[in-house]
Parts: sequence; structure tokens; C-alpha cells
Amino acid sequence: MNFSKALVVYKKEMLEMFRDKRTIFSTIILPFILYPLIFIGVSSLMVRQTAKLEEKGAVIALADSVQNQDSQFLIDKLQTIEHFQYIPYSVNADSLYQQKNIHGIIVIRDSLQESGIPVFLVSVQLDQSTDQGKLISAKVNKVLQQAKDEMVKQRLSAYGLTTQIVNTVHLTQKDTSSPQKKLGSLLGAILPYLLIMLLITGASIVAADLVAGEKERKTLETLLVSSTHRNEIVLGKYLTIITFALINVLVNLFSLYFSMRSMVSQSGLEMTGVKFPFQSFLVLFIALIPLATLFAAVLLSISTFSRNMKEARSYEQPVLLVSMLLAIVSFFPAIELNNGLALIPIINISLLFKAVMISDYKIIHLLLTICSTLVLDVFAVILTVKLFNSENVLFRSEVDTGIKQLRKNKRKFFSPYYGLVYYVLALLALYYIGSAWQGKEIVSGMLKTEIILVLLPVLLILAVMKLDVKSTLRLNSTRPLNYLLVLLIAVPASVLVTLVSQLINLVYPIPPEYLEKMSELLNLPQLKLWQIVTLIAILPAICEEIMFRGFIFRFFEKGSKWFPILVSAGLFALFHLDPYRFVPVLLLGILLGWLLYKSDSIYVTMLFHATNNTLAILISQFGTAAWLKNFMLDQDNLQWWLSIPALILLALTLYIFNQNNKKLLTAYSD
Amino acid sequence: MIDVIHLSKTFPQKDGSLLAAVDDLSFSAQDGEIVCLLGVNGAGKTTTMRIISTLLKPTSGTAKVNGYDILQEPQKVRENLGFLSGDTGLYNRLTAREFITYFGRLYGKDDNYIDARIETMAELLDMKDFLDKKIDFLSSGMKQKVSIVRSIIHDPPVMIFDEPTGGLDILTARHIVSFIRNCKTQGKCVLFSTHIMREAERIADRIVMIHRGRLLAEGTLEELREVSSQQDLDDIFVFFINRETSETEVKANEF
Repeated sequence: MNFSKALVVYKKEMLEMFRDKRTIFSTIILPFILYPLIFIGVSSLMVRQTAKLEEKGAVIALADSVQNQDSQFLIDKLQTIEHFQYIPYSVNADSLYQQKNIHGIIVIRDSLQESGIPVFLVSVQLDQSTDQGKLISAKVNKVLQQAKDEMVKQRLSAYGLTTQIVNTVHLTQKDTSSPQKKLGSLLGAILPYLLIMLLITGASIVAADLVAGEKERKTLETLLVSSTHRNEIVLGKYLTIITFALINVLVNLFSLYFSMRSMVSQSGLEMTGVKFPFQSFLVLFIALIPLATLFAAVLLSISTFSRNMKEARSYEQPVLLVSMLLAIVSFFPAIELNNGLALIPIINISLLFKAVMISDYKIIHLLLTICSTLVLDVFAVILTVKLFNSENVLFRSEVDTGIKQLRKNKRKFFSPYYGLVYYVLALLALYYIGSAWQGKEIVSGMLKTEIILVLLPVLLILAVMKLDVKSTLRLNSTRPLNYLLVLLIAVPASVLVTLVSQLINLVYPIPPEYLEKMSELLNLPQLKLWQIVTLIAILPAICEEIMFRGFIFRFFEKGSKWFPILVSAGLFALFHLDPYRFVPVLLLGILLGWLLYKSDSIYVTMLFHATNNTLAILISQFGTAAWLKNFMLDQDNLQWWLSIPALILLALTLYIFNQNNKKLLTAYSD
Repeated sequence: MIDVIHLSKTFPQKDGSLLAAVDDLSFSAQDGEIVCLLGVNGAGKTTTMRIISTLLKPTSGTAKVNGYDILQEPQKVRENLGFLSGDTGLYNRLTAREFITYFGRLYGKDDNYIDARIETMAELLDMKDFLDKKIDFLSSGMKQKVSIVRSIIHDPPVMIFDEPTGGLDILTARHIVSFIRNCKTQGKCVLFSTHIMREAERIADRIVMIHRGRLLAEGTLEELREVSSQQDLDDIFVFFINRETSETEVKANEF
């Protein structure tokens, strides 16, 4: 690695970027124009609009059913409001109000208190969603309050008293926050989000151009054939992106600062004693550098992977979207940075910024944030270098994805890419359609979900692709001993998985409302036991096994035998859309995948799945026995000793299963 | 000089099958010699040249450039190699001088050396007028001259031209041809590829014919004429292709 050559690449890229008018416009010129325009424009517009609205005033129908001196006093007060126009109340006032010819109706009535003193009941009808409604609400409340105070004074003076007597509580509030801190808490919500988005947009402006652009313009080959090492090229380009990301942030902050300052001075707000927190900005900038490097590496790897700029831009979109969603936490008032959150990229920086802005952050959080971001950064850089050294990626050609092409070429269809596409679509269907069905009516919802969303699409695709159902889904019978063994495996496996979920419960406690919901699901009083078993054990066993072990497994049968097992298990666990059950289901998924791999028969995994679910139902149905209930739900009385016989039994049965299915191994890999 | 030794390259296709783009190919090119890699589109010319210039790694076999093995010392290979292809793009936002200087620096040359070399080459190729203009504003002939200087800025002993005249007009193509000849007179080893028979006829000292990644025939034009008893290179080429296919047909019949 020759750093000076990386520097040559860096200097040239910077020169080229600065020669590109569009890049310069969007990173440097635009912010200088945009912020003053937005701030000064918007603030002057707002001042003008408010004045205009007050001038427009409002038309109000006024009814006075009391008609005495005091009510007249109230009406006189109301009529002091400028630009308000009153018409006498009539029968058609309501329809006028409906047609928005008048904006409010005020009715004055009276009632007598027990003591015989009259109370004026003033009802104001208005529409708070309109500008006039808000205006009426503010102005009328103000004058009526004044009128009320004066009337109180009059009544008290009739008894020879002053208003001092009703002044029972005098409240003074002392706000110890400095104007500095107030500004900080305001900026703390907005700035982190803004900075992170500026950082990534600045990076994305140049990233696509740097490698995908070179591919598009056919200059990459020339560059690679020069005697520069590829790592030097990557480093030079990487530094270019970081520089542009930081330039974008600096330019924007600079322009934002001056626009805000001039807006504040124009609006005449009292801002003496408020200094812009420059030292906090220094901390922010230091924390921002690792994130800039992470974005640079991620975007550079996207740029390297893409065939052209257009492709790079479309791959960048999801990254931008995820960053946006993560960065937005700074707007949430209750979330504060802790050691755990300090390890999550983007969220950590966003929350750290927020803490820094109110000068209330811990050094440990700063260090954790920087370190965890740098660790991810290293991975992203390694990935980029790897991509940059992969000839398949650098000289990638178009892929024909026509359905006819895929139909002709089954192996092409069963690739991880299509597997993931199918899975994501199924997951979306489950999330949007399935949960709606189940929310309406649980039993029919579950039935429809399993059959229409899980099973049917697989069968449809097999038909469209003209694939053989039996061999593709491994609808192969197996020796009877296997079925017996699976039953013996399922019992200790279920026990162990339950223990594991209890263990997780100790670390991340499951909310009790959630547990209740779960046991309700397994305990449907309107159904008979066999119906529950069919709905919750047999049906899912058939449908889900066909989808995951039968179909999705096929897409990942490349390379190591563990690859399809682990991937299908992970996707299976994710499909349950339940963070508390992720690990237990993942473990079951791995075991199911292994059983399939060994037996080459989907019936084996269906039987396992059905047995496992049936056990869960039986325990919740007949688990009223005290020991069982404790075992299932109460972590204090967990029967840990059970894990020992369960482990022994599981190991033994798995060993026998393995021995019994050795010969089928070769048949599988074909 | 270039030595290609039992070179093979297979590309995995999306359906899992393998495509042999280069299949056990061996040939060599000496210093002061122009060797033409001749074949139809898709014969494996570009893949072979990309392997020699270390852009791709061979599946098996190897090649040597000026004695340096492409697998053992790829860095040395690139230092000793100038590479020019017909469809090379240029950095349009740089001036011609900046562009050439950039590559000179990437080859580790100092600025004095680069400046002097640009002066000499600009004189030779009549480039003085547009040396400091942005590449974006240059004509395709001018661009090609810039590319030529770029490829030879580090004065490499071995030059590789991948379809160098592809897509160029006659006048620009002539520049290239005279440049290739010029390389030869300087004692450089030149390997160039084309699918245009006339071009091979005019420039090459020796012709290496490849078809479907395999060596079809190799020799001077005279030698090839003798073996095939054909005059025109087009006919010679077709002769060898027919011979190859009939051989494979015979082989197939043996089974």
C-alpha cells in the first residue's frame, strides 16, 4: 500500500468533483441560497399572514337572552375586538354557520347559583381547524377574561372587599435553565436528524460517480490496469466521499447558523446571553467523522457493486431511507442514550448529539458510539476492498430475468436472490393482509393466512414455473423408524426450547400482557380440542413446512450444507413477526432444517412441527396442574433439572437419527 | 515479450454451468514484434488480454510479461505494460494534460519526467493546441491521441491494444496504426487484437488465430498461406475454422 498513490487518486477525484457544476451546486451553492430563502422568506411570510388574518377578522352571530346591564357589559367588551363583526342571532344562524358565512356563534344566558347570584353562561361555537376559529378562540377568551376580572372586582367592592381576598394562591415559577440550554434542547431535536441526513446525502452525491460512474464511462479498466494497487484506488475514493460528506455538513451548518441569526435579530426576540454552542459543535463534528467514514464505505461498496450510476442510485435509496428512520429518534422526547443504544449505528449518533446539545452527555457514550461505528466501518471497508478485488463484480454483465428464461433454467430460478424476493413478498402479505384477517376474526384469519398466504403462493409458483411438485418440495416418504424417531426428538427439543425462552425471559423480560395474549391464542374456548390441534398444529405444520423447508430451502442450496439450514431457519423465525419468539423459533428452525437435510423428506419435518405445536397446546389446555403451570410460566420455579434428561434424550435420538440416515446424504446433494 | 502458457479461463454462468472463454491457449510475442490476436467476436480475445494485463485471474495456466508472472508479480506486470482499447473512456472534466499527468503519477513517475514526456509526445502527435483543453471539448481523434499518450506515459516495453481501431474513423485509425508501428521500431513487444482481417494483414508480423477460446493456427501470413493454400486472410481464417470443426466432428464420431 502506497499512501502517496492513494493521495494522487484522491486529489484527482476532488479536482474532478469540483469541476462538476452539479456537484458544486448541490453541495455548496444550494445551501447558501436555500437557508436564507427558507428562513427569511418563511418568517416574513408568517408575520404578514398573521396581520392579514387579523384584518380579515370574523363574523359572529351574537344572542343575548339576558338583556340586562351586565350582559350588555359583556357585549360591549366583545365589540371592542378589532375587525370582528357581530350580527344578531336568528333562527338561520346555524345554517349560516354550516355554510361558513359566519365563523362563530356566541350565546349569553344566565343561571342562578344557590346563593342567588347570577352567573353568565357564555357559549362560543367555533371551528378550531380554521384560521378564523383560532382567532375567535384567542380573542374572545382574552376579552371575556378581562370582563370577568372587572365584574369580580365590582361584586367584591359591593361587599366592601378588594380582589386581594380571592388571590388565594400566588404562583411564581423559577426556570433555572439557561437560554443556552433552551436553545440546546430545541436544536437537540432537529440538528441530529439534519446533520445525519446532510452527511449521507453529501456522501451519496459523489459516491455513485466514483466507481459506478467509471464503469459507465468505461474508464475503470484503464485505471485498474495502471500500476496502482486496488487498495490505493479504494482509499483515494473513500477519502473523497468522506471529504464531500463533511463539506456538505459544514457548508449547511454555516449557512443555517447565519440564516437563523439574522432571522432571530429580525424578529426582535430577546437572545442576549444566548451563545451558539460552538464547543458542543466541536464534539459533534468529532463524533460525526466515524459516521462519515461508515457512510462512505457503505456507499462506495454500493457504487462498486453497481453496473452504472442509475443502478447505484436505486441501491442507495434503501440506505438513505433506513438512515432517515434511525436518525429520526432525536425527535422522540423520551429516548435517551444508554450503553446498549450506543452500539446501534446512527441511533447512537442521533441521541448523542441530542445529549451534547444540552451539555449532558457521558464520555463513555461518546467512546462507545465512535468505537462501534468504527467497527462497522472496518467491516464495510473490508467488503468494499473485497468487491473491488472481485472480477465478477467489476465486470458484471446484465442478467436476463425474464420468466421464460427462468422457466427454461430452473437452477437460475433457485438462487438466493429470488428466494429473498419471494420471502419479502410473503412477509409483506403476512404483515398487511394476514394480520388484518386475524384481527377481524382469529380462527378464520389463521385459516386464511396459512392456506392463502403461506401455502397457495408456493403451489402457484411451482405451477407457473412448471416445476415438479413432489421432487421440488421433497414429498418423499421415508422409513417408518424416522417418524418414530422424530416423535422422540420433538419432546425433549420442545422442552429445551421452552427452557431457552425462559432463559431469554430472565434477560429480556416478556411483558405479562403479551404472555396473556399468547395463551389466549392457544386457548380458544369456542373450539373443541381437535379443532384447535388442527388449526394451530397440523395446518401450520403442513403449510409452513412446505413454504420454508420445502420451497425457500431450495433457493439457498449452494455451497455449505449449513447455508440453507441456517438461512431458512432465520427467515422462518423472522416470519413469526415476534421479537420474543425469535431465538426459540430460530433454534427449532435449525433443527427442522437439519432433519430435512438428513432425511430428504418433508413429512419428517411436518411431523416434528405438528408434534411441537401440539405439545404447546396440550400444556396450555391441561396445564392447570400446578407444577406444569409453574414450569411454563413462572420463571422463579423453573424446573432447570429437566434440561439434563431432555439434553440426554435429544442427543441420543439425534445420534440415532443421524446414524439411521447416513446413506441418504449423497442422494440429497444431487 | 509476452509468454502465454496453457492459459484457461472459465466463467460461471448464472445457471451454474461453466463457459470456457479461453481454453488451454499458448503463444508468445517477442520484443520488436507485432503479434495479432485474430478471431471473431466472442472468440476470447478480450478475455486473454485482460488476463495478461492482470484485470482478470486465469482459471489455470499463466502468462509472463517481460519475464514477470501475472500471478506472482502483478504489480511488476502492470508497470511493464501499456494498455489501450478502442472503447476506453476518458475523464471528461480533466484537461488532456491533467489526464495524462494523473496516470503518470499512478505509474509512480515524478512530475519532471511526466512533463518532459508529455512535451515529446505532444510534439510527435501534434497535440500542442489542445493539451490544456478539457477532454469534454475534444474531437474523437484528439481523444484517441490523448489515450495513446496515456498508455505509453511510463514508456513500457510491452504494449497491448484491444481492438484499438474499433469504432474509429479512417483518419483516427491511421494514427493508431502508425503508433503501433512506431512502438515496434522502438523495440517494444506489441500484442493487438482485431476481428478485421485487413488490419491483421497490414500490420502484423505474426498472426495468432483463436476460435472459441482455443488456438486455431499461428504463424506469419506466409506460413499460414502455405498451410492453407489460400491467398486471402479471410479465406485462410475460414479454412482453419473448417478444419477445426471437422476435427471435432471426427472426434465426436469416434464415440
